[in-house]
Order: sequence, then C-alpha cells, then structure tokens
Amino acid sequence: MLPDALFSLTALLYVAATASFARYLAAPADGMDGAKVAEEGRRDVRLGTGLLAGAGVFHAAHILVFSLVLAVCPVEGIHFPLSVVAMLTVLFFVVLRGRFRIDAAGAVVAPFALSALLASRFVGMNAAPSTQVRSALLPFHVAFNLFGIALFSLACAAAGLYLVQERLLKRKQIFGLFKRLPPLDALDRAEHRFLLAGFPLLTLGILSGTAWAQKVEQGGLSDLLRAGFGWATWLTFAAVLLLRAAAGWRGRRAAWGTIAGFASSLVVLAIYLGRGGPGGHS
Amino acid sequence: MIVVGLSHKNAPVEVRERFAAGKDQEVELLDALKNAGPVGECVFLSTCNRVEVLVAPKPDASPKEVSAAVREVLRRHSGAASAAELDGWLYERRGDDAVRHLFRVAASLDSMVVGEPQILGQVKDAFETAVRHGTVRGPLERCVSRAFSVAKRIRTETALGVGTVSISSVAVDLARGIFGSLDASTVLLVGAGEMAEAACRSLGKDAKSIRVTNRSFERAATLAREFGGVASTLDALEAELSLADVVVTSTGATNYIVTAELVRRVMKTRRGRTLFFVDISVPRNVDPEVHGIDNVYVFDVDDLEAQVKEGMRARSQEVIRAEAIVDEELAAFRAWQRSADVKPVVLALRAKVKGALAAELDRSLAGKLKHLGDAEKAALVQLIEGATNRICHAPTTRLKDAASAGDADVLVASVVELFELSEPATGAEPVPTERPARLH
Repeated sequence: MLPDALFSLTALLYVAATASFARYLAAPADGMDGAKVAEEGRRDVRLGTGLLAGAGVFHAAHILVFSLVLAVCPVEGIHFPLSVVAMLTVLFFVVLRGRFRIDAAGAVVAPFALSALLASRFVGMNAAPSTQVRSALLPFHVAFNLFGIALFSLACAAAGLYLVQERLLKRKQIFGLFKRLPPLDALDRAEHRFLLAGFPLLTLGILSGTAWAQKVEQGGLSDLLRAGFGWATWLTFAAVLLLRAAAGWRGRRAAWGTIAGFASSLVVLAIYLGRGGPGGHS
Repeated sequence: MIVVGLSHKNAPVEVRERFAAGKDQEVELLDALKNAGPVGECVFLSTCNRVEVLVAPKPDASPKEVSAAVREVLRRHSGAASAAELDGWLYERRGDDAVRHLFRVAASLDSMVVGEPQILGQVKDAFETAVRHGTVRGPLERCVSRAFSVAKRIRTETALGVGTVSISSVAVDLARGIFGSLDASTVLLVGAGEMAEAACRSLGKDAKSIRVTNRSFERAATLAREFGGVASTLDALEAELSLADVVVTSTGATNYIVTAELVRRVMKTRRGRTLFFVDISVPRNVDPEVHGIDNVYVFDVDDLEAQVKEGMRARSQEVIRAEAIVDEELAAFRAWQRSADVKPVVLALRAKVKGALAAELDRSLAGKLKHLGDAEKAALVQLIEGATNRICHAPTTRLKDAASAGDADVLVASVVELFELSEPATGAEPVPTERPARLH
C-alpha cells in the first residue's frame, strides 16, 4: 500500500538524518582547529538537513495519502496528531534553521520526528472521532494546538541544547561537542522566538478548546486533566515570556521553563491520545 | 648561564600571579639580583605565562650559590615563608639546557600558545630593561641576542606562526561559540597594554563596537582612536560592563578589579544578557567567583591552555622543524662560543709571530739593510704581514676546528706552552672562565 511505503520511506530518511547528525556530533575533534571542525562537520549537517527535508516532504505525503485512504481530515483524526506534530516540527526546522543558525539542532529534531512517527503507528489507530463532538471549532482547536506544539518542540530542542552548551561552558569543556553545537545565544534567541510564535497559537487552542468543551458539555476526569494541564502549559509559557521581558530571566532559567512547559503540553497530548480523541473513551 | 623560574607548564595561575611583577617591580628585582653576591649578569622576564630569572654567574661563583641567591630574591618577592615552599614550583636549567630553554622561550616553542608572536617582544622588553639598568653586558647579552635571531629564523623558515592559535584567537573562537558572530557584540578592553591591543586586533575586526577603559585615559584614548572605539577611565567600569558583551581584561592590577558583587549589579542592569570575560592578566583581574553567576562566563589564561594545546597538535610538524632549528642553533652557538674561547690564543700567537718578525726586521733595517729607501721598507712591512698570515694560518685553522669540535684544550695548552703565550693579546676578548659546553 502507498501509505505504508511512504511511511517506511519517511522512517528510513529520518533514521539516515539521525545517523548523519549523530556522526557530526560524535566525530573526534582532536588535533583540529575550529575552522577544520566546521569544514568537516558542514558536510554532515548539510546531508542531515537534506535528508530531514526529504523526510518532511514524504512525511507530509504520507499524512495526505493516509487521510485520503481513511477519508478523515488530518486535524480531526485521532491517529494523526503525533505524526502531524513531527512533520510540522521538521518542516519548521528546515525552513527556519538558517535564520536562527541552529542547523545542528537537527540532531534533536530528527530522532524526535522518527520517534513520533513510529509512535503514531501505535496510538489511536482504532479510534475514530465521535460524531457526537464534531464541531466547527474542532479543526481550529486541533490545528492551533498542533502548530503550537510543533513550535514548542523546536523551542524545547533549543532549550535542551542550550542547557548542554551552558553546562559545557561552565565546566570549561570547550572542545568537540561545544564547537559542534549551535552558539549559546543563538539557541537562547531561537528558543525565545519559537515560544513567542507558539504562544498565540496555544492561546487560541486553549480558548477554542474551552469554548468547544462548553459546547459539548464534557466534564469527565480526562477532560478536566487535559484542561488543567492545558492551562498549566499556557501559564508556564506565559511566565517564561513575561519573566524574560520583565526580569531578564533568560538563559538557563528560561530553558528549564520552556522544557517544563513543553512537558506539560506533551501530557495534554498524551491525555488526548490516551482517551481516544475528542469525545472518545479512555 | 642559569635560568630559574616557573611557567604555565608547572604552576597554575594562582601561583604565577604571586611571582608576577610590573615594570617598577622588575627594576627593583633587577637591583636585588644585581646586589646578590654571586650574580654577574641578570634579566628578569615576567609575562602572563611565565616568570623567569636569567643569570650569568660571577667568575668565582658556583651554580649552587647563584641558584640560592636567585631563589632568595624570588622568595622575598613572592612573600613565601621559606625557600622550601618554592621548591615545588620553581624549575632550574643550567648550561646548555639553559641556553636551549632561552632559545625555545624566545621562539615561542615553550609558550602556552605555541607560535604566538608576543613572547619575542616580551623577552626583548625584559632584555632592554636589563640593558638600561646595566645588568647585562657580557656572555648573557650575547646569548639573549642569539635567542632573538633564532626566534626570527624559526619564524622565517617554518610555518609555526601561521594560523597560530593565539590567546586572542582563542578568545574570538569562544566568543563565537557563545554569541555566534560578533557583528552585534560590543567588545570592552579593560586595560590598554600590548595584550589588549593584540586582543583588539582579533576581536575588533568583527565587533559592532569597541570600548576601551583604562587607568590612564590618554592611553585608552590612543588605543580607542586606533580602532575607532570609545575611551573611558576605570571609574566608568560598571557602566561600561553594562554595555559590553565581550570583556577582555589585561591590566597590571594586583587585585580583582571585577568582583562578583560588581557583576551581580551589572547583570541586573543588563537584564540577564550574556557576558563573557577573557581575563588574560596575571595576576587575574576577574574574581573566579564571577564564573558562577548565571549567564556570565570567565576564562583566564589557564582555561585556554587545553584549547591552545589542540592548536599545537595541529602544527606538530612545524614544531618538529622549529625544534630542529633550535638544536642546530644551539650547536652553532656552542661552536661559536668555543671558537671565541680560542680567539685570544690565536690573537696572542699572531702578535707573538708578528712581533718576532718585526723585531728581526728592525734589527736588519738598522744594520745591513740600512741603505733601503722608504718604498722598500714599506714592502718589507707588507712582507711581514703576509708571512705572519701564512705562518699563523694552519695553527689558527686547527685551533678553531678543534674548538668547534669541543676538543681544543690540548692544542690551546700546547700553543700557549710552545710559544710562551702567557697573556692574551691586546684587543682580544677576555677568555671566558668556563667553556660554553659546560655553561653554568
């Protein structure tokens, strides 16, 4: 089947991209100066990015074909969210990496996309959206959240790499990995910008989700948990952005805040997937 | 010759800064060394990475006495309680080892950043200070001068200095690892000395702006003008730190001028923006505690060592070539010194032969050859000159060859004995008290 072939091809390309970035990060730096490290590594990064871009395109094709086969809009189908988040993360990364000078963050993005793609194979495959909860708000609610989570994934990747770089600098281990990862300030700036871009989408997702929940009058435990973690995510990201602007909380503190917010958003996604989608049964 | 000192190789910066000396202290130390009994000549070298005393002993002094005298001066300078306290840190080189060490230091083979150009200038400065204060005038002067030509030869004949990982370039690399590019960064130089200037040449190329703060405004202004920057005095340090992204400190201050408390205040006004210190001064200018503050990073000269070693490995072939040149120059220097050893004997022999021939000629001119005119007499004087050359040519050559081979003792003794050469000829250099091969 075409969807299976596209899935396999996508997974293979993600594996190859992961390997290429891993090779870049793991290559020994002994005896080489910064320029040589950069020159040798550039090839691996270029290859990894190319593979990631190809994988993103095939991933999008897989989602499109699969949704046509199932006759379900991707933003409504319960088995799509993880896959769509991974695909959006990859595409955002490929488009924006140059602007933020975070090419090496592909080392985090590629395995994340691979994991999400594989996980999507096993999550919610047998669940179908309940017609009871269909609403005009639902596609918007899901789309806002998926785009938001994709941007938060990139923010989290940048935050994680920032913490690694910061630790290397504080320990004064300035060889190998330090030279290969993106510059510290570039990671901090990228993390902030991805948060800024994702936050309005999250806000819209939360508002549309609240309105939709009131409309369908849901009130189960999982709905409450999801709403609770949704607001916790929103508050965490709001605090990170506000404290950065007002109190100069940047760097390590902002990175930990971003990671906490992203973890909270993953809990929301997990509850969403675990209960079988909007109106589904856990 | 004897070298006593310590460097980045055997002493951490906390120890080196106890021994470091500013210009005024250098003069005091030279005086102290000069007044120490067994020291004949001395040079005091103090850089970020090394503190060394180069000494030529007085003729009657033993190396042990000289070493003890130098160690005592260094003990008093460092504030150590006893000489034993220094033993773990100070190294000592004597004779050929000392000459080789000096050649390697001047050629930047012993530097933390192998191939960096600053060390040669620093050795020259130390030498000139010693010359001005009259503490070098003999064998040590010749040895240091030779070290300069060795350094120049290595720079010309090898690529040791090409693509050198200098402290400045390491700072640039690190700054790029933190900020990406420097085109949006402000570089602040705290101190306006030679090292600050070198750092400015590397960092200033890409930086958005340069600021220089210094105790003397005039010096800051001169440097700032050169790089199109803004100058201020150290009173404005806190305000300057609020504006800067990369701070290079290189003042001669003996205590921390950038404290943790100051940086905490500055970070509030900076709203957490990253601040990167490169502290290339010894003693250090930035309190190491500053590195513990969020979004602040401090690298001192020792922290850069590993980075520098990496660069050194990449140029290992050039290092091998440079070391070979040092060996060759050391052998040539030894041969030159040995031939200098026999020069007084050669001159004495020549004077003796010429004197004997001239005496015979004078006797003849007063007797049988009385009738000769001025032109004939002048021809005879020429003849004596030529005869002296021919007679002395073979022994001179043999003596010099033997000296180069380090085997002139017997020949020198024989010539002195056979020709009764008790005193060196007038105008000859004094015969060194010790052979260079066994330099003390």
